[in-house]
Amino acid sequence: MTYYLTTILVYAAVDILACLAISLQFGVSGIVNFSFIIFQAAGAYTAGVLSLPSDTENGGFQTYILGLHLSFPLPWIGATLVGALLAIPIGLVALRRLRSDYQAIAMLVLSVIASLVVTNTPAFLDGAAGLSLVPQPLSDKFNPYSEGYLWAYTAGALVLAVIVFFIAQRVINSPYGRSLRAMRENEMAANALGKNAVALKMTVFILGGAIAGLSGAILIGFITTWAPSTWLYPETLILFAAVIVGGRGNNFGAVLGALLVPVGFEEATRYLPPIGPPGLIPALEWVCIGGLILGFLWFRPRGVLPERRRVFAARRTAVAGGELHAGRD
Amino acid sequence: MPVETDAIALTPASGQQPSAERPLLVARHVSRHFEGVRAVEDVSIDVLPGRITGLIGPNGAGKSTFLAVLAGTLPASSGEITFDGEDVTALPAFRRARRGLVRTFQLPSEFAQLTVLENLLAAAPDNRGDSLLGAILGKRYWKADEDRLVEQARVLLDRFRMSAKESDYASSLSGGQKRLVEIMRALMLRPRLLLLDEPMSGVHPSIVGEIADYCEALRDDGLTILMVEHELHMIERMCNPVIVMAQGRVIGQGTMAALRQQREIVDAYLVG
Repeated sequence: MTYYLTTILVYAAVDILACLAISLQFGVSGIVNFSFIIFQAAGAYTAGVLSLPSDTENGGFQTYILGLHLSFPLPWIGATLVGALLAIPIGLVALRRLRSDYQAIAMLVLSVIASLVVTNTPAFLDGAAGLSLVPQPLSDKFNPYSEGYLWAYTAGALVLAVIVFFIAQRVINSPYGRSLRAMRENEMAANALGKNAVALKMTVFILGGAIAGLSGAILIGFITTWAPSTWLYPETLILFAAVIVGGRGNNFGAVLGALLVPVGFEEATRYLPPIGPPGLIPALEWVCIGGLILGFLWFRPRGVLPERRRVFAARRTAVAGGELHAGRD
Repeated sequence: MPVETDAIALTPASGQQPSAERPLLVARHVSRHFEGVRAVEDVSIDVLPGRITGLIGPNGAGKSTFLAVLAGTLPASSGEITFDGEDVTALPAFRRARRGLVRTFQLPSEFAQLTVLENLLAAAPDNRGDSLLGAILGKRYWKADEDRLVEQARVLLDRFRMSAKESDYASSLSGGQKRLVEIMRALMLRPRLLLLDEPMSGVHPSIVGEIADYCEALRDDGLTILMVEHELHMIERMCNPVIVMAQGRVIGQGTMAALRQQREIVDAYLVG
């Protein structure tokens, strides 16, 4: 039971991090990053190859680069940095010149290409088999199979999710967040008002990449394996569904969406009785995810918890003349 | 109706007033082509400080394209644009805006899901919280700037009598109110030259006069305006000089009264 609960909670923390990052990029800034999952994968692989010893030390059953066998927290820091650094070349190519619809297509294609490249170059990250036996953080000092370790790991993951939540809150409630929303609403007008839209997009893209990288590190540290089958492009669509359901541009909505869709919805389907041919239930899950996106975009496009309206505190002294246009429509 | 002209926040930043004789903006041989279509062809104009210069012409004359090229929204295919003595031809729109060359748009371009006050604040420069690092450092780091800019925005809202709409989403405003928000938003940058692209288009006739009043008040405060507009009676009232474009070229320049005497211009645009 402990393993089940801690697994659910660690996945919840990882999905909350991912949904916060997507909400910042897509909900607040209007960047349709359909390649999001490759940033999480980059973080997971980085944490893996920084934690693992050299690939010759495990009997050579898997091949990968680096294998530096670094101590915690260096692999997680490295994963966060790689997620951020990966955003730079991708952002410079996709965000500078392309319109948002073409950005989305380019990102989707990139996600497919990345998966194919990793799958077909086994010397890089062990191809389709993926990394396994990744040492868990501090497993040289504590027993990673003990209940205490599992709960401590879960607590650590949730604390990191809370920290990132507060950072995301600071971002969206700041003048910088306002500039991001202005850019989302009308990029040309924002540019004409002195906003460097490319810089705005790049910074939030890098921030989202860093959060995604961290989420990948947390996940691989817990499940100790990572393979291309865990980060196929449809995984990104689940996270987008979560943000659309929860509420774009609202961090509470992102958290709610993460708990409802990737955690709650997928977990609930486990308890369905087996019906039809094998694989029917998982296939229907995808149909439901698609239906969820379409349903919310049609009936409640701003999600369960919509982006909130910012109302400023009333001025200290009233200024005459301010009400003359109150009745004008 | 007369419009109050409180100098706060409307006039260009102090110390940046150009000389009365020297043009604030000079465009020389500016062209803009779209895959063979010569939307703007070899246009040269001077914009004198402290005046409202009108830019008129029939639909398709290239006025809005020329305005976009001046603002940097579209790059020029050739030619040179100098703003207050500095060659800005290669600068992107956001850098020109930061230098005080600010435009509005022909179609409503409000930030729809931001409130009216937020629309103004989004345009405000010099806020320490307007960067990722500033945002992460928290409200204490940028609150003083924010408070100052909120006050500045509220002065503008009072002046344009839009205070009651401060917390409304910009998407909920009427066409005329959206135009006013666009003008106020541009004024938050303390522009030196305001490029207005058909500010009276699609606006209720009762508000057209108000917008004209506001423009004249801004001019009297020292702001230079270049305005594309089809409301010729308003152009005649406000603008001197008036530049006429047709088929991408400048075909005349002068006061509206003088232009009405030129047969070529009357034939091209002023018929009736």
